[in-house]
Amino acid sequence: MNFSVIKLAQNASIITKNAPLLASQFHTSTALCRVVSGKYRITKRRDKPLTYEMANPPHYIAHRKTWNSWNTSNLKDGVRRSETALEDEFIRRFMNGTWHGLVCSEIIIKRQFNHIRVAAIIRRAVSPTKMYFLLGYSEELMANWLQCPVTLELQTVDSFKDVVFKYI
Amino acid sequence: MSLFIKHYRPGSIFKKQILWRLNSSVAENHESEEEFRVLDILKKRDKQQKRVARRIDVPADRAEKMSTDQNWGNVWPGPRSFHPSTVPLPIRQGFVPKGQVPPGKKANAELMKIPNFLHLTPPVIKTQCEAIKKFCTEWPKLLNSEEAIEKHYPVEVITSDYCHASPTIRNPLARVVTLRVKLSTLNLDKHAKDKLLRLVGDHYDEKTDLITLTADRCPMRRQNLDYVNYLLTACYHEAWTVEDWEKEKMEADMEYYDWNNNQSKKNLVNWYHKCINKDIALSEDEYKSFDTSVIDHGEEYKLAVSSLFNDGEREETINNYDTAVRKLLGLPERKPIE
Repeated sequence: MNFSVIKLAQNASIITKNAPLLASQFHTSTALCRVVSGKYRITKRRDKPLTYEMANPPHYIAHRKTWNSWNTSNLKDGVRRSETALEDEFIRRFMNGTWHGLVCSEIIIKRQFNHIRVAAIIRRAVSPTKMYFLLGYSEELMANWLQCPVTLELQTVDSFKDVVFKYI
Repeated sequence: MSLFIKHYRPGSIFKKQILWRLNSSVAENHESEEEFRVLDILKKRDKQQKRVARRIDVPADRAEKMSTDQNWGNVWPGPRSFHPSTVPLPIRQGFVPKGQVPPGKKANAELMKIPNFLHLTPPVIKTQCEAIKKFCTEWPKLLNSEEAIEKHYPVEVITSDYCHASPTIRNPLARVVTLRVKLSTLNLDKHAKDKLLRLVGDHYDEKTDLITLTADRCPMRRQNLDYVNYLLTACYHEAWTVEDWEKEKMEADMEYYDWNNNQSKKNLVNWYHKCINKDIALSEDEYKSFDTSVIDHGEEYKLAVSSLFNDGEREETINNYDTAVRKLLGLPERKPIE
């Protein structure tokens, strides 16, 4: 295709002859204003479990549910915006990976001065000894990476079913 | 383990042998050489043991064991996310359709998200205030009112400190320094005041009588503070110096209307002299220094004309001028229009 276009370009007379063929044509249609992110589809059997967080779509933030990250960088003229966002994402991934299959809620990250408080709801699927190890492990490693004191504030539940808000 | 089950006949194996077999892996290999393994398709023999989830004994909530007269400050000493088993309150949070009950405090992420003030109950605040009281000094008794503070500390320096919920303690806006001082508190004479106002320009607010100097050009607060102090000092001393060219100030350069220097006074003096039939020629300086209090209603006329020029033409100033002129010329007072 490219080759033929170059050939055409070399011969000016052909260009003038086939002008409508070379004109760029693009297809237009009306915008599809459909918001799907953060929303869940209803299943046929209505057996998909949703937590409270999942049950309320993003436009209900600050109305029915609150933010998962609490810091001053989110505010107008806040400092360290990108760094804070990146660190929060890192903490979320690290927590979900370290407490693999145990985290039943969103990871809530609250910052006060340089202190980072990470809260989550954890399933009681591993022994308390393991849980204490993971607690100290995650606190220590995150404190080393982020260079600030990190505190984990966990709440435990028996199973996933405890955090289910509704089924759709 | 499977080998052990295969060979197990009640009574045939005594304890010692079992222990030995379990401990030794060589023995198992030895056994498998003797016998072929049987493919167990239906898995009848070797039923996979189902993993039994060990129930972890969860102790009862701490909140249930709390006594009613405990010290809450010891239970919740610092800022912390909400924890349902520690807080003995029947709290619910969450939006639900009408007629339903909102989710309870257990496994409720919304309650964990919102900041709580459980560590700042009134008794705790009281004890903390008592504890830091020894570090406080008494407020000076003489500075008991705003006026006294203004009198003893006329210069006001305004800076802002910023507090972030992030590891940095720096904010570029913290460098901005504003200095405010009342013009009336500065020791200035007529010339110096006029010159200072011309020097500071827009930084002077006539309504509040404040000179506001703001500096944000230097990277550190201390440098900006030094700079505003320098600005005020420089302006003040510059205001007091009189340059040679300042003598060339004309009537048009005046910042306000001075009646003594203007034609209006000359006219009044001439008119007065005509009235008393005195024909004398006065010099410029004599006109300026002429005491108008000898003329009836002369001071009143002077004030009326000055206010008309300085305060602008308003109904009040014009009426004032009207009455002053009528009094001066001995005309009857203006009749109200019916």
